[in-house]
Amino acid sequence: MSAAAECRPDARDKAAGVTRYAADLPVPGGTLEAVLVRSPLPHAEIVGVASGQARAAAGVVAVVTAGDLPPGLAGRRVRDMPLLGRGVVRFAGEPVAAVLARSRTAAESAAALVDVEYRELPAVCDPVAALGPDSPRVHEAPWGYPGAVVAAGSGPNLQSEVTDGDPAAVARALAGAATVVTATYRTPAGHQGYLEPQAWVAFPPERGITRLWGTTKSPYRLRDQIAACLGLRPETLRVEPAPLGGDFGGKGGVCDAALCVALARVAGRPVRIVLRSDEDLTATDARHPAVIRVRIGCDADGRLAALDFDAIFDGGAYAAAKPVPSVNLHGALDCALGYRLPCYALRSRVAYTNTVPKGHMRSPGAPQAVFAVESALDELAAAAGISALELRRRNLLTAGEPDGYGHCWPEARGRETLDAAVAAARRLPGAAPPGVARGTGVAVYARPTPTPGPTSLSLAPLPGGRLEVGVPVPETGTGSHAMIGRRLAAELRVDPSRIVVRQMATTELPGDPGVGASRVTAGLSRAAAYLAEAWRASAQDGPVLVTVPAAAEPPALSYCAQVAQVAVDRETGQVTILELVSAVDVAAIVNARAHQMQIDGGAVMGIGFACIEDLREDDGQVLASNFGEFRIPAATDVPALRTVLVDGGKGVGPANVKAVGELTNVPVAAAVANAVADATGVRVRQLPITAERVYWAIRHRGRP
Amino acid sequence: MTIIRFGLNGEPAQVHAPVTASLLDVIRGLGLTGAKVGCRIGVCGVCTVLVDGLPVSSCLYLAHCANGADIWTAEGIARDKPEVVEAFVRCEGMQCGICTPGQVVAAVAARAELGRAADDTQLREYLIGNLCRCTGYATIIEAAKAACDGR
Repeated sequence: MSAAAECRPDARDKAAGVTRYAADLPVPGGTLEAVLVRSPLPHAEIVGVASGQARAAAGVVAVVTAGDLPPGLAGRRVRDMPLLGRGVVRFAGEPVAAVLARSRTAAESAAALVDVEYRELPAVCDPVAALGPDSPRVHEAPWGYPGAVVAAGSGPNLQSEVTDGDPAAVARALAGAATVVTATYRTPAGHQGYLEPQAWVAFPPERGITRLWGTTKSPYRLRDQIAACLGLRPETLRVEPAPLGGDFGGKGGVCDAALCVALARVAGRPVRIVLRSDEDLTATDARHPAVIRVRIGCDADGRLAALDFDAIFDGGAYAAAKPVPSVNLHGALDCALGYRLPCYALRSRVAYTNTVPKGHMRSPGAPQAVFAVESALDELAAAAGISALELRRRNLLTAGEPDGYGHCWPEARGRETLDAAVAAARRLPGAAPPGVARGTGVAVYARPTPTPGPTSLSLAPLPGGRLEVGVPVPETGTGSHAMIGRRLAAELRVDPSRIVVRQMATTELPGDPGVGASRVTAGLSRAAAYLAEAWRASAQDGPVLVTVPAAAEPPALSYCAQVAQVAVDRETGQVTILELVSAVDVAAIVNARAHQMQIDGGAVMGIGFACIEDLREDDGQVLASNFGEFRIPAATDVPALRTVLVDGGKGVGPANVKAVGELTNVPVAAAVANAVADATGVRVRQLPITAERVYWAIRHRGRP
Repeated sequence: MTIIRFGLNGEPAQVHAPVTASLLDVIRGLGLTGAKVGCRIGVCGVCTVLVDGLPVSSCLYLAHCANGADIWTAEGIARDKPEVVEAFVRCEGMQCGICTPGQVVAAVAARAELGRAADDTQLREYLIGNLCRCTGYATIIEAAKAACDGR
């Protein structure tokens, strides 16, 4: 392979600043800029919208409110979110009006002139309170929305509830267990923190086709959601994804795409919406805050007896951003995956509250659930007088043993992965300075690599003997487009420089479920094999298109084990992570560098979740509304990171891969909390683990 | 409105802009996309450009203050100092790429200020104003080091 071919084909343009993201694309003359007027209140009746002054302002073409738009609701599973607040607003930040103007400056100035009269309603901003019988209702009848998974008798403010396992068996097992701990853990609202604000450009229909450019990782699903919301046929929408400037789950929902399309249809001109960064942080699909109660017990030999997992997630004002059929979070539903558990019981509820709607972020629900369970395991070990490491070693699954669901995985390498992480941890030089306590913590995460899903690809000859492969999903930054080009070149036995990768619009390929669930490398590399076969069987003089069905093979199980070593300043509570080791259970690795960057980037995002990031929701307001307040890790926040690849695993698909993109961000928080407990003897059960929290935990040591 | 004259990537440029216009908006108004729109409060660094050799957040820099200045963006650096861009390409100092032009600009400034002796810690401090949500920074620091070394 030539040196040039080894570089990502998108790298040079990205570094030189000439890659055009959605907000960089030149728009045709006459395009209107839309700026949204948002509610300052978490719950209010919209009494009236006075827009005369704004309409009269220079450059303004229209001020659009809900009454000007189709009444359809948007959502991925549950369609419960209006395009603009209609009669009522349910979170601070909900758009109420759109100002369309000839320039961004004109639209921004005029937006300040729109006078919305509100009558404030009682708000509920806490998920536990929201589920109480007397709480204010966020929606009058949430069970009536298309796709709703709750019934009229389900109780107030419920987006979804999943129960599983055998609570009676758990009660019996815990009653007979030698040691039982019960503890409640809390995690805050967070944000994907992508640096590129969401942006959309929609065009009025032309020859029956409505075009939309924008920031989406799931163009086909977005197309279907817009169609369902606006009453259009999906094939009349042409969604053209731009390269994404970061996603991490935040660009998978309907966002303002349906609104942008509706505005272009009303205005009869192209319309562009580019969010300000503070709108992304305060009004898009943030990570669910969680309150998780764990009861876990073991026998006298440290063998786990039962796990009782009860989670309440804050789903915010709309369920629209959640993509899975359960309208719940898989990280919670998978809480009994990695260990040998004779019985377990799960209850996972997502509550409506008058806060920003919550969506998916990198391994949805897992960072929260694993923080709770892996912290509780250390608390159990301490209570039982066993080392935390030994407790895990005795209970991690081995191949063929049933997990908490009774499922037997053909390969389960948790113990090897944990041992590899522990062996790699560096012995810290010297003694801790005076006033500083050092500690070590471990945590483990088990995650299924899904069976490769359905997708589609095309291949067309270009002049000069090159071949153009058409891909259905955007490049989110992982190097997926480079991967598909190389894979196809290998399948066709041609030099990679002959393959050109092109992002297709939704009218050009049959479909794809979008980027997510760590499935892209497994799915698209498998599709490349199908495409190469179809190409070889063709006359090779015209385009070839393949539709690839989902694979029939079972999913694989991957483990990640982390060891955190921390230093805690006893006086201030400041926690410094000295080293974070990530051991990752892998099969084949397609691109070592891209693989390592998923590990490193995930670990650093996990450090943010553990110690730094918090949107600081307070009475329905996001207080950390910019990147100065909502701090994400900078280069100086990164400790020594070490990786151990536990190779030789069996993955999925012809590429034989295991998921890596959503692993290392998950266990960090528990590993750090466990290390802080090891160093200081105090247990922090609420994230992020700030100096202030540790300070007060040390001061209040021993008090209830 | 005021007339602002400055050098942009080695060429003379002249714009009429309100006195309140940011350098970021003026540069992007000229059709350049290397300076990205991010947080707009000078924290994230995706809009970093060189003003007379110093890296600044162009979102907070009033355009009229750049009158007479020498401005460089990633596009110009790619032509004038291609080895810096190549360092990022070779080290794969990026994933999604939205922060990368700003990192390239900051790396040019780091090379001028720290030179070949720049070590990992110094570079991390130097690039503190250029956030990245994807990579975990290792390959960015590696690329900046390679740029400083002139490799």
